[in-house]
Amino acid sequence: MAAPQIVLAEGEAPIFAIGDHVRVAVRFPIGHYRVPNYIRGKKGTIVAIVEPAAVNNEEEGYGRNGGSKRHYYRISLLMTELWPSYPNSSKDSLCIEVFETWLERI
Amino acid sequence: MPDKHELLTRLPTEFGGLEAGPIERVEHELEPWEKRCHALADVLDFHKIINTEEKRRGVEALGAELIGKLTYYERWIVAFSNILFQKGILAPDDVARKMQEVATRLGVNTAEHAHANDCSKSMPS
Amino acid sequence: MVDLHHDHNHEQDHGDHDRAAAGIGTGDYVPGYFEMLEMSIGELLVERGLIGAAEIRRQIEVLDSRTPALGAKVVARAWIDSEFKKRLLANGRAACEELGISFYDDTGLIVLENTDNVHNLIVCTLCSCYPRPVLGLPPDWYKLKPYRARAVTEPRAVLAEFGTIIPDDVEVRVSDSTAQVRFLVLPKRPKGSENFGEKQLAALVTRDAMIGVVPVELS
Repeated sequence: MAAPQIVLAEGEAPIFAIGDHVRVAVRFPIGHYRVPNYIRGKKGTIVAIVEPAAVNNEEEGYGRNGGSKRHYYRISLLMTELWPSYPNSSKDSLCIEVFETWLERI
Repeated sequence: MPDKHELLTRLPTEFGGLEAGPIERVEHELEPWEKRCHALADVLDFHKIINTEEKRRGVEALGAELIGKLTYYERWIVAFSNILFQKGILAPDDVARKMQEVATRLGVNTAEHAHANDCSKSMPS
Repeated sequence: MVDLHHDHNHEQDHGDHDRAAAGIGTGDYVPGYFEMLEMSIGELLVERGLIGAAEIRRQIEVLDSRTPALGAKVVARAWIDSEFKKRLLANGRAACEELGISFYDDTGLIVLENTDNVHNLIVCTLCSCYPRPVLGLPPDWYKLKPYRARAVTEPRAVLAEFGTIIPDDVEVRVSDSTAQVRFLVLPKRPKGSENFGEKQLAALVTRDAMIGVVPVELS
């Protein structure tokens, strides 16, 4: 939480908190991406916020070494959410880091 | 039969969720040139001449055929070459001339060598 | 486990590797096209002053110094020192650095603790991310399609191929690396090791246990 007289820079504060329910966006970039196809559109929960804010690696792949920093979040998704054939009763899960711009609050 | 655009929206290096066979427990001791290549990648990233993410993108951009036929470190060194050319750091002719010089220094006959050693690498990793 | 030998040509003598690496022509070893490309790129970058002449050699020494023994030391320390373990689980990289294991890159480390309720394993479906500063270089199977495709869809079947059966009431948790964070599994301490010293414990911990595909066993 910022001190009252402090204005945070764009992207400095994480948008999501641990425990938030999110969905991975449905978009299909070409060229370079770091969000695997198998999690797009899937629902999960934030389990960790990776600090500090960092460069978008999809842009970093084209030589962007700084700027536009936002947070990556470690999210947990149930295997039953990812794969229809996974046994319904299973608690098995997958955790993965996703850049802030790929997550939508639900 | 996938639509053509799916060749773009799933990169040839992305395997999560694809059908695949049993895991063969293969591993190999890195050859000296492979280790040098890995060290080169780390040095290039340290200097941000080619950062690690650029390397990944460069490998993806090789396309399915090269990705399938080149070994892991072969993919890296070709990706580095392409990126260095794109950035104007080296020109293709610089590299071609240097390779001739290296071949001469090592006593490699480039004409017959280029063909004979093409298929020498056994790991399709 | 298969250990493949590279046969560049039938006359290759493995002892010539170092001389070939030094650029001295030998009777038997013939460098391949890609090796000569690598040598050329390296030499040109040094000639142009973009990298120092000794940097690659130095980084090879850095890489050679990173082996699973480092990870095993971290695991063993976590098993015997509960305060260290807390710090390790809170910030994996910082705790490794306490033990003198520096990170030569910008990656972070999250250590994943296996418990009676959760079994962790790690994978990189997009490429080959791996906790190299603390484990060394990954085995080929970790970088090949079968593991990378199936670890996220059927981790239990993958574990079974390694001889590891996880009970149904234990959650299997797969971590897929995509960004700056790398993962190291902190395996369960094996029963019967209660009186083992730190070095003895470290000797039990294998690379594959820290990837999460096998447990740590006594023998």
